[in-house]
Amino acid sequence: MTLCTLRRSMLFLPASSAAMLSTAFVHRPDSIMFDLEDAVALREKDSARLMMFHALRNPVYRELETVVRINPLATPFGLPDLEAAVRAGADVIRLPKTDTAADLLELEAQVERIEMVCGRPRGSTRLMAAIESASGVVNAVAIAMASPRLMGIALAGFDYVVDMQTERGDGTELFYARCAVLHAARAAKIDAFDVVFGDLDDEAGFIREAELARRLGFNGKSLINPRQIELLHNVYAPTAAEAAHAGKVLAAADAAERDGLGVVSLNGKMIDAPIINRARRVLQLAATSGIRR
Amino acid sequence: MEIVQAAMAGTLESSDLLVKVSPHDEGRLELVVSSQVMRQFGGQIRRVALETLARLEVEAGLVVIEDKGALDCAIRARIQAAVLRAARCQELDWRVLA
Amino acid sequence: MTEPLEFGTVDPGREPLAAAEIRQLLAACELELEAGVQVFLVCRQGGQLVACAGLEGGIVKCVAVAEAHRGGSLSLALMHELGCLALERGHSHLFLYTRPGNAARFQGCGFHPLVEVPGWATLMENTPAGIQGCVRGLRRQRREGGRIGCVVLNANPFTLGHQHLVRSAARACDWLHLFVVGEDASAVPFRDRYSLVRAGVAGIERVTLHPGSRYLISRATFPSYFIKDRCIVETCDTAVDLLLFRQHLAPALGITHRYVGTEPFCRLTRKYNEDMRTWLEDPALPGPPVQVAELPRLEIGGRPVSASEVRRLQAAGDFARMAALVPPATLDLMRERHAATAVAAL
Repeated sequence: MTLCTLRRSMLFLPASSAAMLSTAFVHRPDSIMFDLEDAVALREKDSARLMMFHALRNPVYRELETVVRINPLATPFGLPDLEAAVRAGADVIRLPKTDTAADLLELEAQVERIEMVCGRPRGSTRLMAAIESASGVVNAVAIAMASPRLMGIALAGFDYVVDMQTERGDGTELFYARCAVLHAARAAKIDAFDVVFGDLDDEAGFIREAELARRLGFNGKSLINPRQIELLHNVYAPTAAEAAHAGKVLAAADAAERDGLGVVSLNGKMIDAPIINRARRVLQLAATSGIRR
Repeated sequence: MEIVQAAMAGTLESSDLLVKVSPHDEGRLELVVSSQVMRQFGGQIRRVALETLARLEVEAGLVVIEDKGALDCAIRARIQAAVLRAARCQELDWRVLA
Repeated sequence: MTEPLEFGTVDPGREPLAAAEIRQLLAACELELEAGVQVFLVCRQGGQLVACAGLEGGIVKCVAVAEAHRGGSLSLALMHELGCLALERGHSHLFLYTRPGNAARFQGCGFHPLVEVPGWATLMENTPAGIQGCVRGLRRQRREGGRIGCVVLNANPFTLGHQHLVRSAARACDWLHLFVVGEDASAVPFRDRYSLVRAGVAGIERVTLHPGSRYLISRATFPSYFIKDRCIVETCDTAVDLLLFRQHLAPALGITHRYVGTEPFCRLTRKYNEDMRTWLEDPALPGPPVQVAELPRLEIGGRPVSASEVRRLQAAGDFARMAALVPPATLDLMRERHAATAVAAL
């Protein structure tokens, strides 16, 4: 079984910042998101788009999963952003403010067209939907099922709470949205990503929120500063006990296969495929970022 | 591409470059590069810059680059942005930008 | 968490409250809110003013950063935003005056020093290719000789007096370089002044005519010259222009002598001529010294010929008297313009 793509940490970079584009890969997040939307001033949209285009073609970024957050297709920037990102070889296009499945299908149609025109292998550009409103949350299942290109849905906290007429706090305000987005993702068998934690000085608060996200089942979280990467990877790292148990599960699975048994058992209990897969993921995490500190 | 007005792109922040493009009063192409690492990288910056300008078919203009240690990809991006702004060009031909 | 910095603009003439805030910030940095500033770029944090920079055309003035924010990235961001604002307003080539001690700070923000008047001011520009380009162009026009002269004229308009000055100077030199002030701030527009000069010196040999430059009697190098009611001017006001000439322009052309006519009328011009000796001849100052030669103004009818008198005659419609003071081309132009003004007034 191939190892699953780790997407614990998605580091946001304003595509207008040459300094960040030149150094971000050094911190080794699981994926990097070039932001052409909220982080870039209107006056700089054209310049940032070109920075993203050329940065993506730099070999250093070919080794990481690259995501590009384009501007909404309804703006004059959205389509040029998309043309640039697909042609430059971005792995994933993140669509902001995805409210309905139709939004996603519109994006998909454009991506299909561009892939064909520029000769990129069909289907090689994946999509990510960002849910930033009440509509998006209630439509999450339809969105998650809308396209085979969709690899994940992200909850974007800031715009969502504004739409909900509240503000960011201890997480209560995101309670339903988190669950809705997660369930939609799991039903569609795609990844789910948690919100950005904006207070860079509150390390303890970040860790608490990251642990909540992990316990709920989120595959990863959006980050706005490289300092958050290591903290997050540690939250996702298995404990020694978890790693040890996972080792035993895989040993039992290997033994059953060797003995030609159809059923795997450990300590008298039956272990089925999902549990074995989870054990593999745990060991993959342990191998990548070590044991939880 | 024809340079019709003064324009600039980029910043003087570390790892970036500031590119200023304007019409040349003698109708020729003039490139001025200034960099903190002129001796080591001045030649390379010029090469990447001239190549980028050639692909955009810029035959006349004054292009002034102040480099703060930018990578080649940033050099290409900022020059293209400044030229497109200076040429008041909206339509992008991705084959020449690539 | 620190509040974000927000940039905006202020029209000091129309926003008295904001202007007062700016005045306060400038005062804290030992600066005054200079007249002439057309727009201010301001930076606020949480509603508080933390930095400002003023623009008068393409000249940067009144740059101040609140003490708490100095030494960080705010200066760079401020000057970058200012560059964008200036570009929007049609100015890509910017000049900036600052105290010599502050020059380094602006160098980090993309400004390059042009000339320093020790203890008083440094003039800077926002390109590494400004004065160098100008000098390169001038070098191509060098002429060899032991005595290379220079005359700078506003010629508003060109009179027989100007012609006499140019002829006398050319006679005394191996070659004469003649500059016409480039700023369009005089009654007669530059294009006309320049063509009248060209017509007027056509018959004089060994003269190269140069259109004015931003580096020679311009709003950037000699702002006092363009103030409407010129009053007494400090010696340092003329220093920047003269030192720039001595350190950059004169060496490019190999100029050894600068010629001026005696100035009985305008106090500012007379002061400028006096200061020329101070700044151009002193061997202790940087740049090869340039000798100043003052030639007596041409007199007609017992009075020195003056351009201001010619303008006065034009306003009065007295072309009979004017004919004695100017070459034919000037007379024709002044007559045309007078007629055009009369029509426009109808």
